[in-house]
Amino acid sequence: MTGWHGMWLVTKREIRERARTKGFLISSILTVVLITAAIVLPSIAGNAAETHRIGSLGAGNEAIVTAATEVAEAEVAGQPAEEADGFEIFTFSSRDEAALALQAGEVEVVLIDGESVLVPTEGFGGTPLVGTLQQAAGAVRLQELVASNEEAASVIDVLSRDPLAVTTLAGEDSAAAERGTIAYGGLILMYIAVLSYGNAALTGVTEEKNNRVVEVLLATLRPWQLLGGKVLGIGLLGLAQFAATVIVAFVALRVTNALELPDLDASIVGVLVLWFVLGFSIFSVLYAAAGALASRPEEAQSASLPMTMIAVLAFFLSFGVLSNPDSTLSRIATFIPFTAPFVVPVRNALGALTLVEHVLAVIVTVLAIILLIRVAARIYSGGLLSIGRRVKLREAWRGTN
Amino acid sequence: MLSIEGLHKTYGDVVALDDCTFRAEPGRMLGFLGPNGAGKTTAMRAVFGLVEPDAGTITWRDAPIGFEQRQRFGYMPETRGLYPKMRIHDQLVYLGRLHGMSARAAGDEAEALLATFGLSERTRDPLEKLSHGNQQRVQLAAALINRPELLVLDEPFSGLDPIGVETMGQVLRERARDGAAVVFSSHQLDLVEDLCEDVAIIRQGYIVRQGEVDQIKDASPVRHLELELADGDVRQLGELSDRVVEQVGNRYRLMVPADLDIRPLMSGALATGQVRRFIYTTPSLSEIFLEAVA
Repeated sequence: MTGWHGMWLVTKREIRERARTKGFLISSILTVVLITAAIVLPSIAGNAAETHRIGSLGAGNEAIVTAATEVAEAEVAGQPAEEADGFEIFTFSSRDEAALALQAGEVEVVLIDGESVLVPTEGFGGTPLVGTLQQAAGAVRLQELVASNEEAASVIDVLSRDPLAVTTLAGEDSAAAERGTIAYGGLILMYIAVLSYGNAALTGVTEEKNNRVVEVLLATLRPWQLLGGKVLGIGLLGLAQFAATVIVAFVALRVTNALELPDLDASIVGVLVLWFVLGFSIFSVLYAAAGALASRPEEAQSASLPMTMIAVLAFFLSFGVLSNPDSTLSRIATFIPFTAPFVVPVRNALGALTLVEHVLAVIVTVLAIILLIRVAARIYSGGLLSIGRRVKLREAWRGTN
Repeated sequence: MLSIEGLHKTYGDVVALDDCTFRAEPGRMLGFLGPNGAGKTTAMRAVFGLVEPDAGTITWRDAPIGFEQRQRFGYMPETRGLYPKMRIHDQLVYLGRLHGMSARAAGDEAEALLATFGLSERTRDPLEKLSHGNQQRVQLAAALINRPELLVLDEPFSGLDPIGVETMGQVLRERARDGAAVVFSSHQLDLVEDLCEDVAIIRQGYIVRQGEVDQIKDASPVRHLELELADGDVRQLGELSDRVVEQVGNRYRLMVPADLDIRPLMSGALATGQVRRFIYTTPSLSEIFLEAVA
């Protein structure tokens, strides 16, 4: 039996037994139900009609707003319980004036020359209003086309693009901002996943010590096989549960259109998934190393605080990276295994990362994961037979049991 | 053959093993005896690499013990433990597979073992639903699942009722008959005397007696003599007064040197008339034990 085979047997047992527990089933179902409910219920209840305040700069905006009113009315047609949103136009004479009003929240968006729309920031929940305006602008363009007897090709052209260019107050390139948003969304998901499933790894590795089966197992398994197999099993199951939750949430959002999702760029998402897995792995192993010191789940909890602190710090560091992806701090954090998963996807999305940097960061993180597994396994076997008490780190390392 | 040579192990100031040396042969059972804290568990753990000895060697069939060898060993540790919420059949299969068995072979063996222990009806129950005694049977089954060549059991009989002791003893004897080397520690010395061909007695980390039970008993410098005469007084038979260990009515228990010639005693006793009792034996294992670890 090879070393990997032994580890895989541990992983399979872990997944099978965990997936079989009531706790896992209940938490999986509950999460999916809650997420679905949180997304679907508000959209069933219907939104109260509101009056949108639209800024207008230059000519050609009124037609769009008028069309938007019709679009809004068409949306609620046949739904007597609902009232259509209204629109109010505020005219500005200069871009600065308009920007100030936008910043102050006096208007929600500013239409410019019937060509583009200025929004405060781009991001998730970046108002459905922009969608309505795009629709309205598209309708206006079509009317113009019909009036001028243009070719069908132009119709397709109008229909296949958003007619209004979206810019933000900061003057960011809207596409880059959108990529940043995706990366940031990914980060938040990873942060949630690390904190929720890190604990599973932490208490999970104490299971064999707590029920004392460890002596039977280690008579035939090496410590790294047991520890690695457990972390892998707990991690895979956690990832599966998390992925299911995210997919359900995503589908529900798409179906209900409760929140405008940015378009997903395949390369950005690919990098995000890669770093999600790397980040999830390194923190799982880190939590497992802390758990390896303890012999009971209760003790493990007290060992978890430093690990949680690392995750929280890395998460907050990524805020700074978002606004300043080229700073020295951002560059350094790219090569620290615990911060890299939070920093690299953001820098990548914002185009601030070279391929060489990216590859190096992956290598550093993968090496750190391998090293950590070894360290954790050594701590685990060192403190192995001191059942019933917490092991001092130094003792465990030396293996004085 | 399991050969343990000159094992040393200290924990800080505590000496757990001090030149510990003994052997266990295939097809035989070895009772590993010693007072609490004498080093039995440490020595057994060392066989499985769970304790790293400071010095000494452990070999199986003249080869150092590694991962490969341990796949063919079975172990029942002192600290019992299995997964409480896992079905007992699945649990045995899992352990079998960790020992390199195929899923099918492990499944067949698990069923056979659970049948032996009368647990066929409970294969799908989680361990925690079983009584203490049944859990212990599963623990033994876990040690047997891979049909081990070497079985090491730390106190396998503690906490079992007499029926459990009987079953477990039988199973271990069968495994020894099939060629396995069986080593187990126990404080139930009469049980060891019944089951084992060999014993090793450890005291403060050092093996003070080792060999065949009968030989060790024969080698003892004393013998037991139990005498009861219907008509005479035992003390008339010779210089026996200071050898009396116990007297109940007319019944005497005596401890005599092994080289004492008992023929004059026998004829003397017969000369007094009816002899109700005349028993001459080697000391029991527990006496040997108490003397060895004193």
